[in-house]
Amino acid sequence: MSERTKIDARGAFCPGPLMEVIATLKLIEIGDEIEVWSTDQGTVKDLPEWCAKVGHEHVETTQQDGYASLIVRKSK
Amino acid sequence: MSLSNAPLFIVLISSEHEKIQMAAMMASVGAVSERPVTMLISMNALPCFERGLAAEQRYVGGRMSDVMKEKGVPDAITLLQQGKDLGEMEIYACSMALDVLGWEIDNLTEGLFDGPLGLTKFLVDAQDGQVITL
Repeated sequence: MSERTKIDARGAFCPGPLMEVIATLKLIEIGDEIEVWSTDQGTVKDLPEWCAKVGHEHVETTQQDGYASLIVRKSK
Repeated sequence: MSLSNAPLFIVLISSEHEKIQMAAMMASVGAVSERPVTMLISMNALPCFERGLAAEQRYVGGRMSDVMKEKGVPDAITLLQQGKDLGEMEIYACSMALDVLGWEIDNLTEGLFDGPLGLTKFLVDAQDGQVITL
């Protein structure tokens, strides 16, 4: 059964949220997910672009009150 | 359009905080995005990496430097270390700059540098990649 790890990267500046996601991806299993919260305005475009580039799945982005929540699934 | 896998070669010669920060951001993001990164640090940038210097002593900068310090933006050396840990990145000290300063690799930030490098080797390695100079 897949698990989801939450990262609260609110307040971290670019490329902090991306780096936190990448570091966490190394620790989880294929199929597991990461939910990252970010106030960095670049993350909503950068993280899906990074996933497409390196072969992980960007599941969804939802806009919350003052931050974005992005879900990434480890694919390899 | 997606990022290519072309190796990225960054020549860092400035002691300006803003340029060093930008170089570190590009290097770390490139390295974790499957673009091998090689940095060559020379000229006024090299003394910024003197071992033992605190972050506030390391750079000269303008308005953005002041704001980045005030807001606690992670130091360039932290970003470079993350890039090396999580991706494919090599950082070299320009051998000419080391010679002029009378320094060895041990005079530079511990654990960050992969060694000294001459310009000829760097240019040969960089001929099929993308070169950025800051």
